[in-house]
Amino acid sequence: MIYQPPTGARDLLPLDVAQKCWIEQHLQQVFHRWSYHRIITPTLERLDTLMAGGAIQPETVIQLRDAEEAVLGLRPELTASIARAAVTRMAGVTYPQRLYYNANVFRRRQDGFNGQHEYYQAGVELLGGSGLLADAEVILLLADCLNSLGLKHWHLILGEAELTRSLLAVFPVPLQEQVRHCIARLDQVALEALPLSPELRARALALLNLRGNPAAVLQQVASLDLAPAQRSVLNNLKSLVELLGPVPLTLDLSLIQTFDYYTGLIFEVVSEADTGARVLGQGGRYDQLLGLYHPQGQSIPGIGFCLNLEDLHQVLLPTQLPQQTPVSDWLVVPESSQAIAAALAHAQQLRTDPLLRVEIDLLSRPQEFVREYARLRRIAQIAWVDAQGSSVVEPTSPD
Amino acid sequence: MLTIALPKGALLKDSICLLKSIGLDFSGFLEPTNRQLQMPDPTGTARAFLVRAQDVPVYAEYGQAQLGIVGYDVLKEKRPQVAQVMDLKFGRCRLSVAAKRSSHYQSALELPPHSRVASKFIHCAHEFFAQLDLPVEIIPLYGSVELGPITGMSEAIVDLVSTGRTLQDNGLIELDVLFESTARLIAHPLSYRLDTYRLHHWIEQLRSVAVV
Repeated sequence: MIYQPPTGARDLLPLDVAQKCWIEQHLQQVFHRWSYHRIITPTLERLDTLMAGGAIQPETVIQLRDAEEAVLGLRPELTASIARAAVTRMAGVTYPQRLYYNANVFRRRQDGFNGQHEYYQAGVELLGGSGLLADAEVILLLADCLNSLGLKHWHLILGEAELTRSLLAVFPVPLQEQVRHCIARLDQVALEALPLSPELRARALALLNLRGNPAAVLQQVASLDLAPAQRSVLNNLKSLVELLGPVPLTLDLSLIQTFDYYTGLIFEVVSEADTGARVLGQGGRYDQLLGLYHPQGQSIPGIGFCLNLEDLHQVLLPTQLPQQTPVSDWLVVPESSQAIAAALAHAQQLRTDPLLRVEIDLLSRPQEFVREYARLRRIAQIAWVDAQGSSVVEPTSPD
Repeated sequence: MLTIALPKGALLKDSICLLKSIGLDFSGFLEPTNRQLQMPDPTGTARAFLVRAQDVPVYAEYGQAQLGIVGYDVLKEKRPQVAQVMDLKFGRCRLSVAAKRSSHYQSALELPPHSRVASKFIHCAHEFFAQLDLPVEIIPLYGSVELGPITGMSEAIVDLVSTGRTLQDNGLIELDVLFESTARLIAHPLSYRLDTYRLHHWIEQLRSVAVV
């Protein structure tokens, strides 16, 4: 029989790994420069931990049972685990906490076939920081990540969940959820069919299309009849847009989810390739989430984002990523079986230079085969070692 | 370049006619000898894909087409994540339950429990009978669904009806209507948000010419 991986799982071979590491290392360097620390949480969590935030449906989680019959799930994202760890395991730490992660996540695809189950994500959570400066930090950090990857055509779609939610308050309570659903799903046809007065219908349609150039959108919102709390959110948003400067930005107040998870900023980062736009990552502010995990219900503000490494991989593959695994710098060849010890010692000597990759020729074979092997593997130099330990260096002839 | 996915079949002619009225001419697809799967419009501002109706929302969901035209029935069956921009009002039809005229059923509720229902719209059919709380076995068929009751394979069918002629000619009678369907303009959500290739300009053009 042939052993296959389960549907949706995949093996990452050395070249895939080299490319994935290239992305991860670039991101990690940026995270470190912004003074973020890595956190590692368990792959398995209790299902109730994963679902507490309200953003995760149980049917999308790959579930298991432990010996006590508790229901566990493979994490579909990291924020729930980090929130749990922060409030239960890090009591007494000083805030803000700047955390980052680089981990695999698992999703069960609803439509059944060929969906990938295991993904990799890298992201940050800034805990205990609220307000304009924390918001600006996270978005500028995201921009720094994308720029350090050399990503060309990316764009940030930025919304404000609290502001959008408050703008929904003008609709009759029984219809609010439906209006929100239509806006979240960009379903103008269903929105027009709702039993709303002409004024409210116009208002709902305006909300569905409340996006574009930040200055124009801010002006459009400012012209609405706003409560003082809404004004203050709007002013914050205006200051944020100014701080973000050159970040390619679409302000989109229709960017909202059908459930209450985000409590402030909400954003998606998108690549605009010729083969179609795709989401590379997402994030937002969740000021209520940590309170759900805290034993005394004490809330700590938080904001974060995650980048989907598979999507970054796809976008960066043609231009940025290494197209081959690293080659060896040296091939050390024992000239006879009596020379093995000397060859091992010589190779080890070469390895004292930490930048060099040194391999030993395992097969005793004629010299022309060794040279052919070195040429095929693009190994720069061959060291022929004899039993006395003396070596002859031979540069490999190029093709 | 702005890319529009167009459905083969009943909606194609009206779709091409509508796009022509805003200056995008893909009438080459209507030539009987046409074998092209994609074509640019003569002014070079947009191109169109010609695909099966069920595949239109797929191209719009993944973003290879920024716009698409497809029947509401397909959207209801496949539930793709696309923006529903506009009801284009043409291609009106309905998804109905039908049975043999000789069976004398008056409504779907009278079907015996655990009967078989043949349909291409398996999700819609399943949802409908689940709402009726009537257990049935759905048999997926992808064409000539009317043969289900004729051959005795199924008690009833769930299928699209426009004039009712096909049902009548095959000795079937419509019992219940699941929903009415018309052609919809759909968009790739991210392109819609980003206004890729001046998407909203074209949508406004279509709004101004579409039948109200």
